[in-house]
Amino acid sequence: MRDRPDIVLTRHFFTSLFDAGFLSDEGAESLKRALLGSLAVAIAAGLLLARVFRVKYLMLSAGPVDNYARELLADHAFLIAVPMWFVAGAVALVGHSLFPDERDFRILMAEPLSRLTIFAAKLASLLLFVGLFIAGTHVALLPLAALTMVGAAKTGSILTAAMALAVSSLSASLFAAFAVVAVHGLLVLFAPRERLLAFSGVVRGVLIGVLALSLPLIARLPATAVAFASDAWWLPWTPPAWFVGLERWLLGDGRRAALAAEAAIATVLVLIVSVASYLLLYRRFDRVMLQPASSQSRGGWSRSLDQWVGHAPVRHAIRRFVSITIRRSLLHQGLIVGLIAAAGGFVLNSLLSVNGWNEPLDTRGRSPLILTLLWAPMTMMFLAIPAIRLALSVPLDLRSNWVFRMTEDVAGRAEVAAATVRIVLTLGVAVPLALLGPVQWWVLGPSAAPIIALEALFGWLVVEWVMADWGRIPFTCSYIPGKGFVPHMFAKGFASYLVFTLGTTVILRVSLGRPRVVVVVALIVGVAAGTLSLRRTRHTPLTPLMFDDELPTDVNPLRLSAD
Amino acid sequence: MVASPGLAPERAIGGPAASAGSVGSSPMLQAHELTKRYGGLLALDRVSFELRPGEIVGYLGPNGSGKSTTVNLVVGLFEPSAGDLSLCGIRASEDPIAYKRRIGYVPEEPSLYAHLTASDYLMLVGRLRRMPSRTLRTRVRELLRLFQLHDSGYRSMTTFSKGMRQRVLVASALLHNPDLLVLDEPFSGLDVNAGLLLRTLLGILASQGRMIFFSTHRFDMVEKLCSRVIVLSSGRVVLERRVADFDREGPDSLEETFVRATQQPDFAPLARQIVDTIAGA
Repeated sequence: MRDRPDIVLTRHFFTSLFDAGFLSDEGAESLKRALLGSLAVAIAAGLLLARVFRVKYLMLSAGPVDNYARELLADHAFLIAVPMWFVAGAVALVGHSLFPDERDFRILMAEPLSRLTIFAAKLASLLLFVGLFIAGTHVALLPLAALTMVGAAKTGSILTAAMALAVSSLSASLFAAFAVVAVHGLLVLFAPRERLLAFSGVVRGVLIGVLALSLPLIARLPATAVAFASDAWWLPWTPPAWFVGLERWLLGDGRRAALAAEAAIATVLVLIVSVASYLLLYRRFDRVMLQPASSQSRGGWSRSLDQWVGHAPVRHAIRRFVSITIRRSLLHQGLIVGLIAAAGGFVLNSLLSVNGWNEPLDTRGRSPLILTLLWAPMTMMFLAIPAIRLALSVPLDLRSNWVFRMTEDVAGRAEVAAATVRIVLTLGVAVPLALLGPVQWWVLGPSAAPIIALEALFGWLVVEWVMADWGRIPFTCSYIPGKGFVPHMFAKGFASYLVFTLGTTVILRVSLGRPRVVVVVALIVGVAAGTLSLRRTRHTPLTPLMFDDELPTDVNPLRLSAD
Repeated sequence: MVASPGLAPERAIGGPAASAGSVGSSPMLQAHELTKRYGGLLALDRVSFELRPGEIVGYLGPNGSGKSTTVNLVVGLFEPSAGDLSLCGIRASEDPIAYKRRIGYVPEEPSLYAHLTASDYLMLVGRLRRMPSRTLRTRVRELLRLFQLHDSGYRSMTTFSKGMRQRVLVASALLHNPDLLVLDEPFSGLDVNAGLLLRTLLGILASQGRMIFFSTHRFDMVEKLCSRVIVLSSGRVVLERRVADFDREGPDSLEETFVRATQQPDFAPLARQIVDTIAGA
């Protein structure tokens, strides 16, 4: 039985779902163990959540039924959203393996296997994978779900309520999983074959970014009882709310029928698209054969680029290498998009919490909205810049770095540093400002322009500071994590964060609407950043590039003796 | 002829003296008393050899004899624990960048960034070697065509076979027209046609005055391609001889001499044991 081809193939596909494409065999094994371990952590986290909510439900069970019913909707939205997030995240991470691909076509079609066996095994492995995550997250949240049922006896049968929640939550998780499958299915079927890899990378990046950004929104769901009670405008746009509607509709609440209908339509739709994608691909398996991108004729802009590149070919080579790696390496794309989005999520949470969005703006007073708006990009940049530095430090296929070792030259070292700083500036400064600048403009009007320019200068200063000792080509140097004394690093990082964000927020607040102050601050910050940049430009050609990470050579003595 | 800063001179070495298959008189690659230690392990023990323009030197040795260590030292990836290397008068210890600029290298394992396309990879290598944009683009396109990679050249190399990756590596080693070509098992994974092409190509490159240092396990390739052979055993050179001096067959053939020089055991009993084992099964 275990050796039947379909079972063997299903097992192979299932195992390969845990190999994100960058792991060795040992790494994939260790990832599997880590995932099983994380299930235990999830259960512990579920118990912790139940403890956090315990007091609230003890009070609600003693209070009026209406209060309980109102709070229940928001908490169930949270209970439904958490598994949705985990399941969608897991499926998004294995987006490259959701459908039989070119490698499967080349290798498996040459074996005595029917196409049906291959597709059935792939689908079975996917269902097993999704089922594993759905089961894991639901088991972890079982204590909290049980806690929310404490007062259900007042509104009806506990068993009926539990069944309704289970059906809704499982449907929601299925929807989340198959929404990702459907997106990839449409991509496989309709994206031009020569651009499939590029499109797939972009979709994966967008999904990871959206998921990371949605985390703070999910965390806020338990506080949305009033929104549910008043049928807030955003409920029909929020998938967890659809499935809360489904739950209520199953319990006989006709007021939520519209939300329930949305849940049903969305689930059926993504299932249809997913199944149809499988069926269409089954009929046209040759579609997975990628086609080479044609070497397009190069226009005038490209020739100008070449002329410009001719002066700094190494810089261009490094920028292109980094950009392709970020697009195609799941690990690096996940790290960079995930870390930027996590910083964005932190800032978004603060922006959503602040009052004053609907009030007239007082630019002279101490409006919390203005302070938060000025604080937001500085925080996002401060968190994103070191995170991007970290992501660029994580190596990719170290055995292949010989090509960089062999081609290193003195002028190239400066070009490498310049290219890397430019990348960090783009991702760590330009992206946060592109996201938050329009919000600042919307709230502050034209007076936001000089402020955004100042923020860019502060960002440049942080980049030059953080990258001052960068002496490597991104992704090519071995990496030893936790080289420093971790508590010391955290304390230092947190203190720097407080000083930087509070200090810059105050400076920006003082500069708002005062052009002379803006000019003075811009001059000071610009000169400081320029000095660091000049120092780096002079210093880097003298230092060979690093390809092997080193432990710190300076010893920090404990100084236990009296002398 | 003056070379452009990042590029090896078109034919700075060899010149007329090395043309038409003749071997230049003065050595251009000199390895002197190369020694490499890894901790307490002596991997290479005072190895010395020379290469002249137009020479193809085969580097033979059993596994663990120090072949790959020598290759890594010659291409400048490792620094020797003792000894010295110089290429065209440039000492590796004094100016490693100028030294490495004149070398093209094909590693044993097809180690390349497989998430890039073949075209991306060659463009990356060319830019790192500061080749002029226009020359680079034309050369990449032509090399992809000549190595029959054009159809796959714009696709990620993750799906490439070992032979295809090997062809990309050979193309990248030739891209900047190097003076010294260092090849570590270059025929590994190549199909018959690609193998024949590479063999012919190496012959022509040598006839034009380039030096080729060729580490391999294949006696037939050494006999067909090389002018001289160096045999390494336990980190020491145990034999150095012109290939023409070996007999085709018999006790003085390259293979028999290699077995004697490296003190290989008699494999016949072991082979018989294997046959007995599978026959018994």
